[in-house]
This record gives sequence, structure tokens and C-alpha cells, in this order.
Amino acid sequence: MQGTKVVRPFPFFRAGARASQPQLAKPILVLEDVYKFFRPDQPTLRGVNLSVERGEFAFITGPSGAGKSTLLKLIYRELGVDEGRVLFCGRDIARLTDKSIPFLRRNLGIVFQDFRIIDHWTAYENVAVALEILSMPQRLVRSRVAEALERVGLAGRGAERTSNLSGGEKQRVAVARAIVPEPALILADEPTGNLDPHLAIDILTLFEEINTTGTTVLFATHDHSLISKRDHRLISIDEGRVVEAQHGLKQWPGSGIHTLVG
Amino acid sequence: MDVKSAITRARRGLREERRLYIVAVTSLAVAFLCLGATLLGVTNLDAAATRWGQSGRITLFLKDDADPQDIAQLRVVLEGLADVSNVTHVTPDEARASFLEEADVGADLSSLPPEVFPASLEVTLVRGVTRERSESIASRLAQFRAVSDVESYRSWFQKLDHLLWGARMLAVGLAVLVVFCVVAVIGNTIRLAVARRRQEIEVMKLCGATNGFVRGPFVLEGMFQGFASALLAVLALLAGYLSLHESVDGTLAALTGSRVVFLSVWTLVALLAGGALIGAIGSAMSVRRYLSV
Ligand SMILES: Nc1ncnc2c1ncn2[C@@H]1O[C@H](COP(=O)(O)OP(=O)(O)OP(=O)(O)O)[C@@H](O)[C@H]1O
Ligand SMILES: [Mg+2]
Repeated sequence: MQGTKVVRPFPFFRAGARASQPQLAKPILVLEDVYKFFRPDQPTLRGVNLSVERGEFAFITGPSGAGKSTLLKLIYRELGVDEGRVLFCGRDIARLTDKSIPFLRRNLGIVFQDFRIIDHWTAYENVAVALEILSMPQRLVRSRVAEALERVGLAGRGAERTSNLSGGEKQRVAVARAIVPEPALILADEPTGNLDPHLAIDILTLFEEINTTGTTVLFATHDHSLISKRDHRLISIDEGRVVEAQHGLKQWPGSGIHTLVG
Repeated sequence: MDVKSAITRARRGLREERRLYIVAVTSLAVAFLCLGATLLGVTNLDAAATRWGQSGRITLFLKDDADPQDIAQLRVVLEGLADVSNVTHVTPDEARASFLEEADVGADLSSLPPEVFPASLEVTLVRGVTRERSESIASRLAQFRAVSDVESYRSWFQKLDHLLWGARMLAVGLAVLVVFCVVAVIGNTIRLAVARRRQEIEVMKLCGATNGFVRGPFVLEGMFQGFASALLAVLALLAGYLSLHESVDGTLAALTGSRVVFLSVWTLVALLAGGALIGAIGSAMSVRRYLSV
């Protein structure tokens, strides 16, 4: 990598040894009294408070239209908050300038329901794009993309055009793209929404494996069959507020699953 | 910005959008060809004007009843002038003969008697005499007793100047038009390319690509289109020149004594570099407008 400029203005945002001790001790993500209005009279998020520790795996759930996607968009700065603060690694990202947003996103891995991979590119190209924007040397890109494809179970299939892949495989390519820059935090917005139940479990397991290497994962879903199979922390958004349970549905404080997903 | 990656992605873009870009380049090449042809005209007119301007000539028409002694004296004076390189006495017979040879229109003119053609002294000036100087020499020579009339070809030069000015204005007008076309056409193709690559742009933005990273290839693609159009036009013009110049040269040499010239190296460089630059500007403007990253 010597002699090549790799743009990484917030090195301490990355998972691993680069973060300083005090940084590691703090939560990776903190939302303080966050409000988001799409209509002046009816806020989608009203006073959301949330703290996510480094290395956590958390489900974000809630009925359709509750604001799960909105919450994630505030974190990857597709949207800005109307009130409150969003601290990522101790920095307030709610008021980043437009110029700084790309540098925030280099520390995040984002996965969507609709995969968002380029059909006429190969699997390799779809994953490599996340490293190419960092001006990483090709040699390094090749080895890291191969490694990422292996981690998602697509070893040796980099040369295939993604239009020929199945839905589950496409989502694996998208996951590989999200993890290849070794982000500190992964945001998954209903990543299993377009997949069969057994494929959904596979993808969930994949995210859990990624989580065991120290990457924080926020997994938005309204699929309670998926949630009920695991004991992860549960963050539910309802009527613009957050209700939480530390260990899955068993400990859910309300009157069962209906308050959870409507 | 990473230029190497931008070039790689621009090449992919050119490959994927080649149909769109071929149409744009072809139509812009036609525009550049018009401009190039006009510039070629200006260059040749300019070359001819410079040639004539430098090889100055004055014709002194002599009075029919001029005293041969006066004429001889006039010749001595003329040959003494530093600006004069050569003086030839043309008799009416010679004038008639050369007129009939050049006119070449038919038998009825050959009945013209030599008296119709006045005798003259053809004065050739040395190279590099300015037009102002040749005017003042001409007006001084008009004072001589044997001289009935002086032709310094002034109106001729004025006509040529007007023609040259008109051609230059035409070139400037065309250049403005071509700039406008290039900006509009390339801006439009880049807008289409941006729309077609919307998905890729979105992915790159989500991965943390900067504005420059996303925009770079589009600007390069526009630049390439501008350059390719100019190059295509120059090559077409060169092909036309090479296939025609020999036959045109003969006619032109007989008429004006000058040969056809091609555009100067600097004009060619300016055309190609200008094409690339305007292409880049056109696409940069388009990308700024349609790619709000
Ligand atoms: N850009 C926007 N402009 C206006 N309203 C919006 C916008 N984005 C979201 N909303 C509204 O905010 C609310 C929350 O939307 P959001 O997409 O976050 O819901 P969600 O929890 O992700 O739902 P789903 O489970 O269906 O994906 C919805 O009522 C939606 O109509
Ligand atoms: Mg959603």
C-alpha cells in the first residue's frame, strides 16, 4: 500500500486496533432526543434515545411505516435529523457537511431489501466498487474481494455476472460489498424481505457470523418469525418512540408480539 | 481524485454507451468539419493575400502620344528607385496579344486593333514593400508627363480584404456555433448516460464515493467525445485536401500564382484541444446539473 493514497479521514471509525482505548470504551452509536418530521404536525420519530455498544447485534423492528428505514437513513445520512444528536464513534454526524458524508459512509456497510447490486457487473466488480472508491491498489482489492466473497459463501464465483445469480446469492454479493471495507457498523434494512424463509435464516446467520468478528450490526426487519428465533437485543419503533428488550421476544415488556409489529 | 480509476470507469462507460456516443460524435464531427472547412478557406485566402501583398505591382499606362524620350527618362527614374525590382515596357501589340490569350473567348475579339490597348510600364516592386508605400510611389509616378493613368490595384486589395474579413467573421460565427453545439450535444448525451447509470451512481454514493469520484468518468467521457469529433473532422478534411489539392493547385496557380495550403499545425492543435476542452466543459456542466451527489 506504500505510496498510494488511501482516503480514510476517520481511521478510528474502523473496526479493529485503530480505535483508541477511550474510543473503544464508548458506545459506537448514540441517538439523543432525535426528532424527524416529514409532516409538521406528525413527527415520524419523536424523541428517540438509543445507545448501541461496539460489537452488538440488534434487531430494529416495528410495524410498516413506523420509521425503521428512516432511523437507518439518519445514520448513513441519507436524511438529516430535525432535532437532537446522532453520535457515531463520539462524533455528531447529524450536522455533517455534504462533503463529509462520503467519509462517514466509508465506515458503514449498508445492505437493502432490494440488493442494490449492478446486474451487468460481475460479482467481483460489485464488491470491488466499495474498495475502488478508496483508491485502493488493485492487488489489494483482488485479495480482499476474494476474501469477502469467501466469507459470504461465494468463493470462486467472482467472475459470474450477477444477473445470473439467485436472489439469495445476490444478497450475499451485497453483504460482501458491505463488509469488504471492514466497516465498524453494518446497517441492514430488511435484508431478508425478498427472500424465502430458509434463505432468510441463512442471511441472518451470515450477519451473525460477521458480528462475531467484532462488527456491530443493526438489522431492521418486521419478520417476527426471524426475530423469535434469536435472542438478540430488540429495538422496536412504535408511534415514533423506541421500546427495547435486551434479549429477544421472551423478555418483551408489552402485551406480546402484537404491540411489537402491529 | 483518482485519475486511473476514473479512466478505467470512463472506458467502461464509453463501451457501454457506444451507440449513444457514436451518434453524438458523428453529428459533432459534421459541425467541426464546417468550421474546419471555413478555417481552411480563411487560411488560403490569407496566404494568397499575403503573397500578393508582398509581390507588389504597379502598372503605369502611357499616353498614346507620349514622347519616347519621356518614357526612357521615366524608366531611368523607376530603375533608380530602391523599391523597384523590375520594369517592363508593354507595347499595345503585346498587350493585345496577352489579352487575347488570357481572355480566350472567341474570334470577334481578335478584330480589336492594337490601338485599343494602351502601352504600359509594368513595375514590379521588391518583396516586402508595404501597400502604403506602393500607394505613395504610385501617386508620385502619376505626376509624370508620359503617364496617363496609374493602376496600383488598390481596389483589388480592398476587395480581398473585405472577403478575408467576411471569411474570418464567418469562421468566428461558426466557432461560436460549434462551441454551442458541442456543449449542448455532449451535455445531452452525458445527461442520458447519467440517467442510465443512476443505479451505479447510487451504489457508489452509498459506499462513500465523493462527488469528484462519481463525476470524473463522465467528464472524461465528454472530453473524449469532443476530441474524437474534432479528430474525425480533421481527418475528413485532410482526406479531402489530399485528394483534391493537386487538381485545385493547377487552376489556382494559373489564376493567382499561389498554391493550396492545409491548416497550420497550431490550428489543428487548437481544434483538437478545443474539442476536448469544450467537451469536458459541456459534460461537467451537465453532470453538475443532473448529478446532485
Ligand atoms: N422522504 C419522505 N417523505 C415523506 N414521508 C416519508 C419519507 N420517508 C418516509 N416517510 C414517511 O415516514 C414514515 C416512516 O417510513 P419508513 O420508510 O421509515 O418506514 P419503515 O418502518 O421502514 O416501514 P417498512 O417496514 O414498510 O419499510 C412513513 O409514514 C413514510 O410515509
Ligand atoms: Mg423500511
